[in-house]
Amino acid sequence: MTVPTTISASAIDVAPIRYVDRTLANGLRAILVRDPRVPSVAINVAYRVGGKDDPAGRSGFAHLFEHLMFKGTARTGPETIDRLTEDVGGFNNAFTTEDITNYYEVIPSNHLERLLWAEADRLAGLVVNEDNFVTERDVVIGEYDQRILAEPYGMLDELVNREAYVAHPYRRGVIGSPAELNAASLDDVVAFHATYYRPDNAVLVVAGDLDVDATMRWIETYFGAIATPPTPIPRVQVVEPQQNAERRYEYRAANVPLPASEEAYHIPDAAHPDAAALDVLETLLGGGRSSRLYTALVYHKQLASSTYAAADLREQPGLFGIRVTCARGVPLEQARAALELELDRVRTQPPDDGEIERVRTQIASTVVRSRQTNNGVALTMARAVTERGDPELVNGDLARYLAVSAGDVLRVARTYLRPENRTVIEYLPQ
Amino acid sequence: MSVSAPAPGPPRDATLPAPVERVLDNGLRVVAFAQRNLPLIAAQLVVRCGGAAEREDEAGLSALVAALLTQGTTTRGAIELAAAADALGARLDAASGYDASIVSVSATTPAFGAAFALLDEVVRQPAFAPHEVERVRTKSISDLSLTYANPSALARLVSQRVAYAGAPYGHPVAGTVATLEALGRDRVAWFHERFYRPDDAVLVIGGDLDVDDAFALAERVLGSWRAPGPLPDRPPFGEIPAPRSRVVIVDKPDAGRTALYSGRVTIERASPDFYAAIVAIAVLSGYSGRLNQEIRVKRGLSYGAGAMLAARRMPGLFLSSTLIDHTRAVEAAAVTAATIRSLADAPATDEDLVKRKAVVTGGFYRSIETIDGIAANVAEHVLYDVPLGEINEYARRVQDVDAASVSAFAARGLVPDDFVVLVGDAAKFADEFARTHSDVRVIPFAALDLGSPTLGAK
Repeated sequence: MTVPTTISASAIDVAPIRYVDRTLANGLRAILVRDPRVPSVAINVAYRVGGKDDPAGRSGFAHLFEHLMFKGTARTGPETIDRLTEDVGGFNNAFTTEDITNYYEVIPSNHLERLLWAEADRLAGLVVNEDNFVTERDVVIGEYDQRILAEPYGMLDELVNREAYVAHPYRRGVIGSPAELNAASLDDVVAFHATYYRPDNAVLVVAGDLDVDATMRWIETYFGAIATPPTPIPRVQVVEPQQNAERRYEYRAANVPLPASEEAYHIPDAAHPDAAALDVLETLLGGGRSSRLYTALVYHKQLASSTYAAADLREQPGLFGIRVTCARGVPLEQARAALELELDRVRTQPPDDGEIERVRTQIASTVVRSRQTNNGVALTMARAVTERGDPELVNGDLARYLAVSAGDVLRVARTYLRPENRTVIEYLPQ
Repeated sequence: MSVSAPAPGPPRDATLPAPVERVLDNGLRVVAFAQRNLPLIAAQLVVRCGGAAEREDEAGLSALVAALLTQGTTTRGAIELAAAADALGARLDAASGYDASIVSVSATTPAFGAAFALLDEVVRQPAFAPHEVERVRTKSISDLSLTYANPSALARLVSQRVAYAGAPYGHPVAGTVATLEALGRDRVAWFHERFYRPDDAVLVIGGDLDVDDAFALAERVLGSWRAPGPLPDRPPFGEIPAPRSRVVIVDKPDAGRTALYSGRVTIERASPDFYAAIVAIAVLSGYSGRLNQEIRVKRGLSYGAGAMLAARRMPGLFLSSTLIDHTRAVEAAAVTAATIRSLADAPATDEDLVKRKAVVTGGFYRSIETIDGIAANVAEHVLYDVPLGEINEYARRVQDVDAASVSAFAARGLVPDDFVVLVGDAAKFADEFARTHSDVRVIPFAALDLGSPTLGAK
């Protein structure tokens, strides 16, 4: 039997996500996606506040806040959200990025109203006292010790942000510094909640087995009652100056099993027309075992034990990171020289049709898979609104990837992957 | 805003696409289902032989075979195979457990035909190239040291040995350093040749296609697969040791905390008690479950405690687990035993039972959000000879379980917990156990042999 060995990604036909999009009088944006296949529903509440919005001298605040939001309210005790989800067959969690803090729950659909009540309750009436503030700050510092200090390469992400940006607050990362967290007071926390946790700074997405009218009514009842303060929400206005010369930074630590490096190139924001081509470039260089970096550096030349490429597209201009971890016994210069050859190639020759088709198929398949779960759909919508400003963009993403040509990949590689546009972190054993 | 959370509404049900079964001429059972909300199709080939079919001295063989299937075929090497899957946007995986080895593939609709051909290629023409055998074996051996460094993972492996001794679920399915070192390409090829056969396998295929198209695809691609002779009788399952109350301690002074496991052999997946059993486990497990309430919330003995049931073809293992400070091991073991016993003596309240059953059905519904998840559920039914129709009765059967049936099952299936296994700093608790238990055995970690039915020389 003969079968085709590649397919045209354009043959992958995905129905658009249909949704209801409404902004309440107090500014809260609510997006509902109905999919009743399974009696389960996902809620995402994304606040437009992340690491970049931390107050000066208070790095790590947005993330600390994510923890405090689980400590109870005027009406509820600590861990209320855990009990309302885990005890009825659901789960919940939250994460903080440079741009957003996202809280989510997945629950049996007959519990939707309860969780909407609970999410509105912690937006309206978070209670922070000295005790839970100090406890949770210690938890976050413990997380810093464990994730950043103790884990191999734990400091690398922090260094990339800190050294690649000279002016933009993205340079502070998300987890912040223990010294600045320890310097914070309860007053700072209360002020932070008042500044960013308000209806007009939130996007609420509900996806799954829901009745649109009833759900909108509950949202009006519970969220609509929350007042929006008259003061404007502060937004980061800092523009990172253009980088004109390569920067290098050497870091030595005790727990470094193998030498590694990451180079970070400045790229535009997530809503920029080049974003899709940068995603294609990411997969071409680093997506799976057929990617260029894996096949050349890990498999054929055996100079690296692992490679990684990521277009970290953010609300404001982000970074394209390329990481290489040496194979045992290989000096970093040798692995980096081989990497440089691959980068030269991607900057000077367009990929051939087969390769571009393969990469587009990989990306299109990932997009389709991400639509399978209610929480996947809810998160996709929440990110489209907070990072790119428009939920409808999710329905154009597949077409945008399919429209990326070999010439586009060559152009973005030439435009952004220039040595003078990068910061190289060398991460070495002591 | 109201001062307390509004009440939940009435629970809603869901209907899974009904799976349909046909048998090909070569004996391959094909179970197909249509679920056409997204352009995705998944297939799982369930070969009904896994670790339970291995010899004691070849523990890890079925896992090694499964891991090697995707590392090259007679026509392409490992990297070419990965590139072929990537070019189709496909996921191709293989893994083995005690009762089965499963090869799975999924892809978007236009790519699926070609992706399914890759599944056929890895199942029927694996290369088992010597350098790949060596590479995978070396990696498996180094992974073992990570497992052994984790007190909880080690306690689970020891529990299996204590419960089953030399019966087929006793040995570690990942093997031991000694058994893996003795395995080579010949044995890998032998296992594959003998057990990967159409007349002892089931293909589950579903997603964005009609069931007739699924059967036609299965026939076109796998119809020419032939069994190597008549199917031999399944060897009798070895004898499961009679229950005996005992304490087995693995002395690992460098462990940060002590892993405490207890349990016994209980029911098989196809047992009519299965639904009562999973509700009973849910009453014990989770943050609000009885074990965590007693061990963490009331006494602060641990960060968490829970229970699990390994439901298999033959009677599977019920295990409780927690991680505690070395000095409080005896207390935690007593609390664990009393809490499990409470299930038989003190029935769950209606309010509690409603929540614990919701935990079970909620997890089930989440598991069928994806095509792969539906396929895995169908495969579980097929593998354990549970009627396919039951897949759409899962939630109802869970709801039908009442407090009396949970207690009745606990009394005959969970109580008493037969053995206690501890992995930790024995100097801090072994003497205390010896004062209250007549059968206590302490094994230094260096002397522990998971390859032996008795865990090493006695």
